[in-house]
Amino acid sequence: MVRRDQKRSGIQRRYLKYTAALLGLALLLSSLGVGFSVRERLTRSIIDKYEFMTERMGLALENMFRKTDETTAECILYDDVQQSLRTQGLEKVRHIALSKYFAYIDLDYVADYCYVDNKGNVYSRSYSDVSYEDVEDSGFERYLGEEYSRTKWFWARDTLFGTGDDALFIGRYVRSLEYAHEPGMLFFKMEDGFLREIAGISPELEDEAAVGIIDGEGQICLSSAPETFRAGDRVPEDIVKMVGADVRTGYGGGTSGMILAGERVKDGVLSAYRDASSGMTVFSFVPDRVLNQGIIPVFLVLAGIYLLVTAAAFVISIYFSKRFTKPIRTIQEAMTGFDGTNFERTIELHTNTELDEIGNSYNEMLQNIRRLLDEIKAQEKELRTTELNMLISQINPHFLYNTLDTIYMLARINKEETTMRMIQALSKYLRLSLSKGSEIVTVEDELENVRSYMDIQQIRNQDLFTYEIDCRVDAAGTYVLKLILQPLVENAVKYGFQNIFEGGKIGIKVEEKEGDLYLSVSNNGSPMKPEMAEKINSMNSLPVAELKDCFPDKRHGYGVMNILMRLRLKYGDRAAFYCEAEEEGTVCTVRIPSRKVQEKGEE
Amino acid sequence: MKKRRMRAAALLLALSAAGCAGERTETVSEDGEVSIPITLIVDSSTGIRNEENVIRAFNQMYDGKWQADVDWIMETEEEYRQNLKRQNVTDTLPAVITDLRMLPSFYYMMIQDGRIEELSEYIYGDEEWMEMIEPSVLDSCREEDGSIYLSPISTAAFSCSGMYWNEELFAQAGIERFPETWEEFWDCCEQLKNCGITPLALHTEGTGWAPMLIATAETASTEEGAAFMQEFYPETYQNESGIHIAQTLQRLFSYTTENALYSDFDVSYENFFAGETAMIPNGYWMMDQIPEEWQDKVRFSAFPENKMISSPETFGWAIVSGYSEEVKEGAAALLKLRTQMNMEQRQELFSKDSSEMIPAERDYIEAYKKNPQLVPNYQVKWNSILQEETLGEILPALAQGKMTPEEFAAKEDESIRMFEDEQ
Repeated sequence: MVRRDQKRSGIQRRYLKYTAALLGLALLLSSLGVGFSVRERLTRSIIDKYEFMTERMGLALENMFRKTDETTAECILYDDVQQSLRTQGLEKVRHIALSKYFAYIDLDYVADYCYVDNKGNVYSRSYSDVSYEDVEDSGFERYLGEEYSRTKWFWARDTLFGTGDDALFIGRYVRSLEYAHEPGMLFFKMEDGFLREIAGISPELEDEAAVGIIDGEGQICLSSAPETFRAGDRVPEDIVKMVGADVRTGYGGGTSGMILAGERVKDGVLSAYRDASSGMTVFSFVPDRVLNQGIIPVFLVLAGIYLLVTAAAFVISIYFSKRFTKPIRTIQEAMTGFDGTNFERTIELHTNTELDEIGNSYNEMLQNIRRLLDEIKAQEKELRTTELNMLISQINPHFLYNTLDTIYMLARINKEETTMRMIQALSKYLRLSLSKGSEIVTVEDELENVRSYMDIQQIRNQDLFTYEIDCRVDAAGTYVLKLILQPLVENAVKYGFQNIFEGGKIGIKVEEKEGDLYLSVSNNGSPMKPEMAEKINSMNSLPVAELKDCFPDKRHGYGVMNILMRLRLKYGDRAAFYCEAEEEGTVCTVRIPSRKVQEKGEE
Repeated sequence: MKKRRMRAAALLLALSAAGCAGERTETVSEDGEVSIPITLIVDSSTGIRNEENVIRAFNQMYDGKWQADVDWIMETEEEYRQNLKRQNVTDTLPAVITDLRMLPSFYYMMIQDGRIEELSEYIYGDEEWMEMIEPSVLDSCREEDGSIYLSPISTAAFSCSGMYWNEELFAQAGIERFPETWEEFWDCCEQLKNCGITPLALHTEGTGWAPMLIATAETASTEEGAAFMQEFYPETYQNESGIHIAQTLQRLFSYTTENALYSDFDVSYENFFAGETAMIPNGYWMMDQIPEEWQDKVRFSAFPENKMISSPETFGWAIVSGYSEEVKEGAAALLKLRTQMNMEQRQELFSKDSSEMIPAERDYIEAYKKNPQLVPNYQVKWNSILQEETLGEILPALAQGKMTPEEFAAKEDESIRMFEDEQ
């Protein structure tokens, strides 16, 4: 199939090949360019999304801190709390009420609480058995820092309420509004849900990325990874190092804001937001797999588009290549299928392209060939007839000469001199005219022939003309096409002297100039009509095939045409024949290339 | 303009009332300008922003370096002071605080807890600043150990309180001049009352400022009384002077409006400038707050017998510790500028043609030039429980005769015991 196609249309095959190569190259380059830029931008936008969500988480953290700050401030300003700091302290009933008060403050996820006033009284849940010693032993006071009364978040082992687990604590010094007393201390132990609420502020982030919170001392307080995380998606173990030393500036120092904005780390992207007031840092780690998940659909769409484009380009290429190669194939089939006989098999094309012209030209060419063939056939036919006639005429010369000899003998016996001369002339004339062999004869023979002819004509037309031959070349060594001069002399007698009866003169001159031989016949009779002279002269520039058509009437001009045709067939364009009408008479000249003996032998 | 200010201030008040005074933060703008946080009061009656000229001048002078970031709040001075305490315990105090000396125990607590900056280095280290301050004013600001926590104003001239009185109402009662003796004062009250004019604008809330001014000035007219007023944290009020003050207070409340009970100074102010009362005691600072249409009618006089209440240290501003050195340095510059502007104001006032002044101002200068007897402000001398809790509780009872002056003095002494307990 392919092979047949190849044979059938190489152009289409090549066209398809080049189109495919070009399309392939274009698709490759564009897919590379688009791929790179799309990948870059998409990755950036996906990273930006996670960065934004991390920032939101950070802001949520700040808000949570502010909320705890406000809540603890409310506790500090609470009347009973203030009263507890006074020298008298609280009565038992108010002591119990204050212990319960902290359970109803506006703060969620409080796992446990403990307030110690400046007299060592502990206020906690009724079932809690936290004592002042426990508070002292817990060492939590150190987390409250040196500031007067700042809310502090700290991640520590629960040595206060005795559970021993790690948890987030919120603590603050409680100062008296009025007097310079020792401060009390307030501690809240928070449930895991408290920090998880911060992490859960961006559910989408939590579903796709590992999120976590690191405290001011570099401890990981919360770290969660979605269930969809695979083995390779582990959060880097040295996350604290990655989030940076900035985290460990302790509590309350530095400034808040993004400290890692979509930073590339091994296997993923890390974003982190640090809240200065709480000293906590939230981070998100998005593994490469999740990043790629966002990119793959886009690349699939791109691949789909490329496939579509390729398919469309393939179909369109085949369609158009077929459309263009079909007429070419028609031309090809017509040309290769031409058997030399069927000229009716022309090409019909209507493509409105140059191919139509090719088709039309082919059709014209076909018609030209047809005409030429016809001509050749006619010429061959003519040639065969001529050859037949020649054969016929060649049969007779011996008989004709014998007869002429007999007539000559009779005339001699009868003393008929004129008859004798005429027979002699005729005999000479015929010898050359009927002689077999080459078309080429010496100038000498040619002049002999024309002299005989003129002698005959002089006998026929008593006193009509006289003649003169001026040969300036080596007559015996120069060759010329035979029977060139006789028709010219015939025309001179026939047309030149048609209006005179005596005193006619015919001059024949043979000369060589610049390598050409000039044979001219002049008469002093009626000059040739200028239009005739012009017509004859113009024949020199016509193609051989058209010479015939110049004198369709065989009675006039046939001789001239015959001479010129023979000259052109023999010598080509170097031969010429022209006539000049003069005041008295006409000069007709033949020009042919001069050929010597040895040249003739070469032909 | 005034309305807009009021609205903005109301918004601020609402915000602070909602308990979101916010975390105290230090901000440095992008061009490196350091922000100096400060809270100042917008007068609820006039809409005037206290000390606005100082702030504007400071921000202009130190543009690009420091910026006084003022939180203008519309609240009474008493509310402002209580807020200071709340801001202190929640560690959200601005860098510069005012009125601290009005809360003696709080003031000493702040010193004890290291909450305010010791300023002697700033002041003594700056000759220019030193030259602006009257020695007596610097003395009043200096603690016993020589340390200075309050940035002084230049002069005592602006710290005196006396009586503003309504000339028109006085004329209606046929009184031509302000009484010169306490006897005349009582007669004057009687005469006004007889003419259907309420003589005094008083109140019972806060520290009982208006009635206490008159009562303490009156007490100081005896040698013993004057000595009593010099006492810091008096040991008892159940003595002649203490009981005398209670008696005077009771008597004063018989010449005031009905709405004086359980109300604060703003009500007294409204009463006076509504033309409902003939007199209101207050300091020089009220000159700015006299409504324009009242400027020709209101006069000023020292209390009878040439007495004026004055404690220049009450006008001292303090710098809160815990801020960065940059902020504290800026805050000190602000305090210095205030001293300077105060000095310029004094010079301007004393060199000003009296015809350009409003009558009350003219009266004030005249009174000040008469070398009045300066009686210390009870607010800087007495314990805070008495001032902030007890007086508010017992004044209405005394005013209504439900409590005798003796009982009143006994209650005052109770506050002393409570206060001592807390110490």
